[in-house]
Amino acid sequence: MSAPTNAATSAATLPDEHHESIWGKAIYKLRRDRAGMVGFAIVMAYFIAASGVWLGIWGTHWSDVEGPKWSPMSSEFWFGTNIIGQDIFQRAIYSTKTAFEIGLVVAVLSTLIGAVLGALAGFFSGTWIDAIILWIKGVLDSIPFYLFVAAVAFALQDNPYAMHVAMISTFWTTTGRLVRGEVIKLRNFEFVEAAKAIGVPQITIIFRHILPNTFHILLVQATIVFVAAIKSEVILSFLGLGVQDGVSWGLMISESTLEVLAGYFNNFIWASVLLFGLVMAFNMFSDALQDALDPKKVAAP
Amino acid sequence: MTDEVAKTLLSVRNLVVEFDTRFGPVRAVDDISFDIFPNETVGIVGESGCGKTVTGLSLLRLVPSPPGRIVQGSIILNGNDLVQLPENDMAQLRGDDISMIFQEPMTALNPVLSLGTQMTDVLRQHRKMTKREARDVAIDMLAKVGIPVPEKRIDEYPHELSGGMRQRVMIAMALSCNPKLLVADEPTTALDVTTQAQVLEQIVELQEEFHMAVILITHDLGVIAETCQRAIVMYCGNIVETGTVEDLFERPRHPYTKGLLESIPRLRDERIAELPIIPGMVPDLLSLPAGCRFADRCKYAQADCLQTPPRLESSGDTGSGVACYHPLN
Amino acid sequence: MEVLQFAIRKLIGGIPLILGVTFISFVLMVYYGPDQTFELLGKNPTAEEIAEVRAELGYDRPFFVRYGEFLKELVTLDFGLSDSTGEPVSRMLGRTIPISLALVTPGFILGNLLGVLLALVAAYNRSGWIDKTIMGFAVVGMSVSFLIVIIAFQIIFSSSYGLDLFPVRGWNIHSVGDYVMYVTVPTLASVFVALGYNTRFYRAVLVEEMTRDHVRTARAFGISPAKLFYKHILKNALIPIITRVMFSIPLVVISGSLLIESYFGIPGVGKITFDAITSGDQPVLKAVVSLTAVLFVITLLLTDILYRAVDPRVSLK
Repeated sequence: MSAPTNAATSAATLPDEHHESIWGKAIYKLRRDRAGMVGFAIVMAYFIAASGVWLGIWGTHWSDVEGPKWSPMSSEFWFGTNIIGQDIFQRAIYSTKTAFEIGLVVAVLSTLIGAVLGALAGFFSGTWIDAIILWIKGVLDSIPFYLFVAAVAFALQDNPYAMHVAMISTFWTTTGRLVRGEVIKLRNFEFVEAAKAIGVPQITIIFRHILPNTFHILLVQATIVFVAAIKSEVILSFLGLGVQDGVSWGLMISESTLEVLAGYFNNFIWASVLLFGLVMAFNMFSDALQDALDPKKVAAP
Repeated sequence: MTDEVAKTLLSVRNLVVEFDTRFGPVRAVDDISFDIFPNETVGIVGESGCGKTVTGLSLLRLVPSPPGRIVQGSIILNGNDLVQLPENDMAQLRGDDISMIFQEPMTALNPVLSLGTQMTDVLRQHRKMTKREARDVAIDMLAKVGIPVPEKRIDEYPHELSGGMRQRVMIAMALSCNPKLLVADEPTTALDVTTQAQVLEQIVELQEEFHMAVILITHDLGVIAETCQRAIVMYCGNIVETGTVEDLFERPRHPYTKGLLESIPRLRDERIAELPIIPGMVPDLLSLPAGCRFADRCKYAQADCLQTPPRLESSGDTGSGVACYHPLN
Repeated sequence: MEVLQFAIRKLIGGIPLILGVTFISFVLMVYYGPDQTFELLGKNPTAEEIAEVRAELGYDRPFFVRYGEFLKELVTLDFGLSDSTGEPVSRMLGRTIPISLALVTPGFILGNLLGVLLALVAAYNRSGWIDKTIMGFAVVGMSVSFLIVIIAFQIIFSSSYGLDLFPVRGWNIHSVGDYVMYVTVPTLASVFVALGYNTRFYRAVLVEEMTRDHVRTARAFGISPAKLFYKHILKNALIPIITRVMFSIPLVVISGSLLIESYFGIPGVGKITFDAITSGDQPVLKAVVSLTAVLFVITLLLTDILYRAVDPRVSLK
C-alpha cells in the first residue's frame, strides 16, 4: 500500500508570485550582485564613449599629429602625446569604438554560428551531420590561433576583416560544443516527442522549441567571447595581424614597446588602463550573469 | 523516573533548525521534541517539506551549513548533547554510534572507489583493524545484506551494481560498526516496489540481529504500517501527533493524521465520487499564521485554534502525544 | 595489450583530424598563399623566367598533386628549407623545440600547481573572505592582457626604470645560473596570466565535487575531513583537472611561447613561428601547424589513457 501523502493536499495552482522562470530569478539575482552591477555600469560608460566616437562627437582627431612628440600630460593633451605627436587621449577614446566593434561583431556572429551548428550537431547526434560538425570543430581547435589568423590574413590578401573572420571561425567552437551537449539532453525531453507526434517538422522543432532553451548558455558565451575577442586583438595587433585601419588599444600598446625603452610610459599606461578597465568590468558582469543563470557556476556562492 | 531516563536512547528537546533564504531566515524544524527507545522502529512521516529530512540530518549534525544551522535545542545520545559536541567528536560518533543512509543509492557512493575501499575506510576509521581484517568484516556484512558472492563483488565499483544492491551496500556500511541508532531517510523511495519490499525486510531483520533502533523517514504511510512500531507525524516543521502505529491508524487524534489516512486510495464497500483530500495548502514558511498551522485547512477548527499554536501534549508512557486543542478520539 | 590496441585505435581515429588540419593549412597558406615567384626574380622578369621559376616552385601543378606532396613531406618530416634563412626546417625545429620546452615548462607546472593549491584554499573556505579575495585576484589576473604583463614585467624587473635584476632579452645559457636568470621573468609573466584562469576553473571543479552526494555519505560515516578532501573530493576532481592540463599543453607550447619568445628575443619555436608569420615563410608555417595537429592527437590519446587510470567507469571499448 503506497500512499504518497502529497495526494492529501489539493492541487490548487500556486499564486503568481511563486512562479519563477529562469529569467525572472536571474534578473533578481543579477540586480543584487553588486560587483556585476558595477561592471555593467562601467561597460555602459565605455559603450557611451564608443557611441560618441561612432557618431563623430569625440575622438575624431586620433590620427592628427597635433603636438610635439612625447609631451607630458597637460590640460591640452590629457594623456600626453605619443612618439609621433598624436594625442593619446583621442586615440584611446577612439579605441573604445574599435574594441566594441570587434567585440560585438565577433561575439554575435560566433554565437550565432555556434548555436546553429551546435543545435544541428546535437539534434542529429550520432549521424554523419554530427560527425562532420565535430570533425570541423576538432580541426579548428587544433590549429594554433595566431597561425590561423596569419593563414587567413594571407588567404584574404590582407583584407582588414581577416582578423574578424579568423576570430569568428575559431571562437564558435566552444559555444557549439555547449549547445550540442544541451540539445542532446533536451532532445530526449517529452516536449520534443510531443511535437514530433503532432507532426511538427524537424527544423521547426530545433529552432523554435529546443534552441530557445539554450539562450542562457548563448548569452553567457557571448559575453565570454566578447572579452576573448578584445584581448586577442591586442596580441594580434602586436603581431601585425590585427587592426589595419584606425587605432586600437592593441596598436597603441605595440607602438609603446619602443617608447617604454626610452622611458616614456604614457601611451602604454593609458592604453593598458583603459583596456583593463573594460575587460575587468565585462568579466565581472559576465560572472554575475553566469551566477544568476546557473548557480552551479564559478563565482563564490 | 530514573528507569525511564535510562531507557531512552535518544532524546530530542526543543530542536529548532533555521535556513537562510533570500527573504530571511526560515525555520524548517520549529521546536520539536521526541524520544527514541532502544531497539524500536520509529517512523517520521509527513509530506515533502515538512522538515522530516532536516530532522534526520540534524541528528547527525549534517545539516548543510550555509544555509542552515541548528539554532536551539538539544539532542542527547548516551548522555552527550550532540548539538554542543565539537566537530571532531561528532565525526567519531557518525558511522559508529549513529548511522544514516540516504535516498539516492545511485549517487550516494563514490564512483571511483571500489566498494571494498569505501567499506574498509569506514571500518578502519572507527576500529583498529588491519586492511585484511576490515576486508573480512566487510565481506561478512555484504553477505548479511544478501549480496551474492560477496568476496568477488567487494572489489567491484558502484556503477556495476543495481540500485537495490547499492542500497544494500549502504546498509551494510551503515551497520558495519554496530550503531545503536540507524536513521534511514527515504531509503526505498528511489527503488521499484519489489526491491522496496526486499530492502525494508532486510532492515527489519538486521535491526533485530544488531539490536539497534531505527528511525525511518518517509512520506509513505504504507512503509510505516509495515515496518514501524511507533510513528511521529510532522506538518510544517512541527510534530502534530505521535503514537503507536495501531493507535495512529485506527484512532488518529490529529485532524491532519486523519486526513492523511482518508486520502489513501483503497478498496471500499461503496463507490465514492471523489477521493477525499485535505483542502488548501501548506502555509508558506515565511508567513506563518498566528495559531495552529493546520487551522485554515481543518474542518474541526475553532476560535482558540487561531490564537496560539497548540503544544505537543504527551500522555502515557508509550510516548504518544498530539498537538491539538480539540483532538479527535 | 588491451592498452596498446586502444592506443592504436585512437591514433587511427585521429587521422581525419590530421588530414583536416593539414588540408586547411595547405589551402590557406600554400595554395592561396603569397606567390613567391616575384620575390625570387629580380626586376622586369621575362615571361620565360617567370614560367621557369613557377615550374621550379611547383605552382603549375594540379591541386591534389601539390597536396599529396605536402602530405608526403609531412610524413617524412621533410619540410624543406626555410624561405627566409634557407636552413632545413627540420633542423630549425630540432634546435628550437628544446629551447621552447625549457622556457615554457617551469611556468606551466607552476601555473597549474599554484592554481590547484589556491583553488583548494578557496574551495575549503568557500564563501569566506579568503575565498572572495582569491577569486577577486583571479578575475584581475584574467582581465590583464598577456602583452601588458610581459611589457610591464620587463620594465619592472629587467629595465633600468625598475629593479634591473634580470636580463632584458636573450637566451645565453651556459649554466644553471644563466638559465634561472633568463627564465625567471618570462615564467613570472606566464604564471601571472595563467593563474587567474586556472584557479577559477579548479575551484569550480572542486566545489562541484564537494557538493556531491557521496561526500555527504562519507561524512555521515565519520570519515575525517582530511581524508574526505583527498579521497573523495580531489580524487574525483582529477578527471576534469587532467583534461584541462593535458589540453592546454599544445596551446601553451606554441601559442604561449609565441609572444614571450618574440618579445624577449628567445630563439624558440614560438619565435621562428612569429618570424615566419611576418615574413610569410611557408615551409616553417606548414611544419609548425602540422606538428601541432599531431601533438593534439597524441595529447587526446594520452588523456584518454590517463582517464582509464583514474576513473573506473571509463572502459577501453
